[in-house]
Amino acid sequence: MDLFEAIKSRRSIRRYKTDPVDDKKIETILDAGRWAPSWGNTQCWRFVVVRDAAVKAKIADTLKKIKLPDKEVPNPASGAMNNVPVIIVVCARIGSAGAGHGTPGGKPEYVTDKGDWFMFDVALAVQNMVLAAHAQGLGTVIIGAFDAPQVEKILNVPEGYRAVTLFPLGVPEHEGKAPPRKELSEIVSKDSFGK
Amino acid sequence: MDIFEAIKNRRSIRHYKPDPVDDKTVEKVLEAAHWAPSWGNQQCWRFVVVRDPRTRSAVADTLAKVSVDSEWVENAAALSIRHAPVLIVVCAEKSGAGRSGDGALLNEKGEYWYMFDIALAMQNLTLAAHALGLGTVIVGGFDVARVEKIIGVTGDCTAVTMTPLGVPAGKGQVSPRKKLSEVIFMEKF
Repeated sequence: MDLFEAIKSRRSIRRYKTDPVDDKKIETILDAGRWAPSWGNTQCWRFVVVRDAAVKAKIADTLKKIKLPDKEVPNPASGAMNNVPVIIVVCARIGSAGAGHGTPGGKPEYVTDKGDWFMFDVALAVQNMVLAAHAQGLGTVIIGAFDAPQVEKILNVPEGYRAVTLFPLGVPEHEGKAPPRKELSEIVSKDSFGK
Repeated sequence: MDIFEAIKNRRSIRHYKPDPVDDKTVEKVLEAAHWAPSWGNQQCWRFVVVRDPRTRSAVADTLAKVSVDSEWVENAAALSIRHAPVLIVVCAEKSGAGRSGDGALLNEKGEYWYMFDIALAMQNLTLAAHALGLGTVIVGGFDVARVEKIIGVTGDCTAVTMTPLGVPAGKGQVSPRKKLSEVIFMEKF
């Protein structure tokens, strides 16, 4: 698939068919993730492929409910988590992205006010993966609102690593819709901010 | 360009030709970035397109030095920013990503979800640039406060990252990747 077509026609998919997804397609997706650039080539990303129904159900239970003015409703993605054949959980090694060489002879320290850049580098890989999934006819929806410490327990994520994001992976049951984008003029300025 | 070809052949480019890049091409690249998904469709990204050589040079001066053979030298990307005709600075509105509808932060990553959303857009940007024959290199190690002053970042926004955009002078190097088996686990970490 053409890159621009993939970028423009990818949608967040919240309902999936139960059709299986073979390992080869998954490997193509993870390989695409691995080709993302990273801070000092630190490649802090780690991918956990979950097919086990019991584990998927436990992960689905960690999704945060959405607060409406009068009630709380389940995340629209949580229904997808149980019947989709695969969930990819993306973890990060902390303390590497964003760290500089430190003072000569000293300990490494973070270079910017943003601290650890693991959130940034993981997302570079995730964007490659959602595009690679879409180009192979598979849907994804990136989920951040879940109980990460709970998922770390479920998956035995060791100290020094964090669960960052997860996405179901399966055959879309419907075409997703494109949420409206701001006009380019609202987000782009020339030579100085907001101009 | 085929998407997998773009993903696998994109390189971080640190040497640029002075050839111009027109506004239409810059717009294509930014439009691709803008098609990234975002937390609650907040689209927290803001792009500042800098062509003015004095502004580019002032921004290049803020890059953190790097240590090579125990000597502190200018980051190669600083030269890229001076040479390439266009610099794109990506800022984030901090109050959007990571929150529920009532503005409460939703998990222990706090407001740092803006880093995540900016990077989703940034990866679309680097791929689109590559497909159009242009190079990029994502830069994070710069003096944020100085850059925000130079380009006049206001309100609830912060400068997160930047990239020069231009015609590559030479091919970038392939940074060796870890084996898939080092980064993939089945069922448990």
